[in-house]
Amino acid sequence: MTAIRWPLLVRRTHKWLALFVGIQVVLWTVTGFYMVTVHIDYIHGDHLVRPAPGGAFSPSNLVKPTEVVASVPEATELRLQRLLGKPVWRAETSKMPVLIDAQTGTKLAPLTQAQVEAAARSVYTGDPTIVSTKLLTEAPLEMQTRKPPYWQVEFAGWNRPTLYISPTTGELISRRHALWRVFDVAWMLHIMDYDERSNVNNPLLRVATWSAVAMALSGAWLLFWSIRWRKKKKA
Amino acid sequence: MESLARRKPFFTPLLFRKIHKWVGLILGLQFVLWTISGAVMALLDMEKVGGHAAAPSAASSSAWPATLAPPPLPGPVDGLLLRRVVNRPVYEVTDRSGVRLLDAQTGQQVTVDRTLAEQVARSAYHVSAPLKQVTRLEKANLEARDHAGPMWRLDFADADNSSSYVSAVTARPLVTRSDTWRTWDFVWMLHNMDYVNRKSFNHPLIIFVAFGTLWLSLTGFYLLFKSFRRREFRWVLGPWRPEAR
Repeated sequence: MTAIRWPLLVRRTHKWLALFVGIQVVLWTVTGFYMVTVHIDYIHGDHLVRPAPGGAFSPSNLVKPTEVVASVPEATELRLQRLLGKPVWRAETSKMPVLIDAQTGTKLAPLTQAQVEAAARSVYTGDPTIVSTKLLTEAPLEMQTRKPPYWQVEFAGWNRPTLYISPTTGELISRRHALWRVFDVAWMLHIMDYDERSNVNNPLLRVATWSAVAMALSGAWLLFWSIRWRKKKKA
Repeated sequence: MESLARRKPFFTPLLFRKIHKWVGLILGLQFVLWTISGAVMALLDMEKVGGHAAAPSAASSSAWPATLAPPPLPGPVDGLLLRRVVNRPVYEVTDRSGVRLLDAQTGQQVTVDRTLAEQVARSAYHVSAPLKQVTRLEKANLEARDHAGPMWRLDFADADNSSSYVSAVTARPLVTRSDTWRTWDFVWMLHNMDYVNRKSFNHPLIIFVAFGTLWLSLTGFYLLFKSFRRREFRWVLGPWRPEAR
């Protein structure tokens, strides 16, 4: 047996590891490049919305919180907020939040489609043309773990901007657009969780990442070996 | 080798091999760091790292006391909440002077002292380990960087060296950090290359390196097709008649 020819062995290791994880490494660099290039605030759709119009409240003229907890005893928390400009008490419960008119004290019914559209328009910054409004009872993939029901309001635009609105409080729950959806696919490919798109501890990713570590280190070894080898040859 | 390159067109495997080597030389270290930090993040248990979900609510489901009083607020407010701090009903008032807590039974201002902060942290994060140290921070440190305002830091003597952060203004539990998170955060810094704030992955440095690394991976992928001979696959493809080269 002759001595181990390290350069050959390492080159073969580098090559075979690259054959094994090459496609994934290309996907990591391509998806990584997308994720670093398009700013995360843009991906989150911060540019699509503005804060809901507000203004100060005068609690002395409104229904007292003590009266609200008397009528909604299951409330765990009360918050004074606005629904289409009018003051309301939002009562958090273990199920859906309940809204109480802060001027009359009556419980408010779930929003109508027209109210939902008005609420969506009041926070949306783009062209206010609505393409579709749907009350969803099953979560679409892009709402991840958020539990329905909620209204899905899609506005006109190449990037299909979509706002999700709470059916009981009219609040903005989430916003999505084309670049978010591309990011979500990029993220799925990056973490190799093709079902939930959220588990960064999956075995496939663990095997692929450690193979990539070995591939990168063998590549680094080859690089330094080739530099030294050249010097020796010249000398 | 050189004479061979001269006879062939510009885009030769040799050119791609050179690009692969030079990009590797310049950006290879970061590529190695990306693979290692990625691999470590894949190993660290997400549940133990934590900190991604919103802070758990400390609300209890017990009934509101009959002695609840309306908030003593003569003027306008920007925000008003009725909530509980551990089990005590409080009003959280936001107005021009900032945010303050008022006891919902007596109307008196509630100060979030270290005892209250400890109660909040224990009930929100279910910690039973003894308290090691309590520090008041006027501004968030690196660990609590997603939150603003003065806060209490409570260090517990548990196996994972947990530190819980509680707002000194609203008494809300903000976040809890552990040694697993600290390891994760260090490698996340190596991954996102934001060595100061550890937060942004959209800065010019990472965009530049990611662009260069695209060349490393794409030339490498191309070279895969130039680096193997059919005989190297004999173990899977079976014997083959001599190649017609």
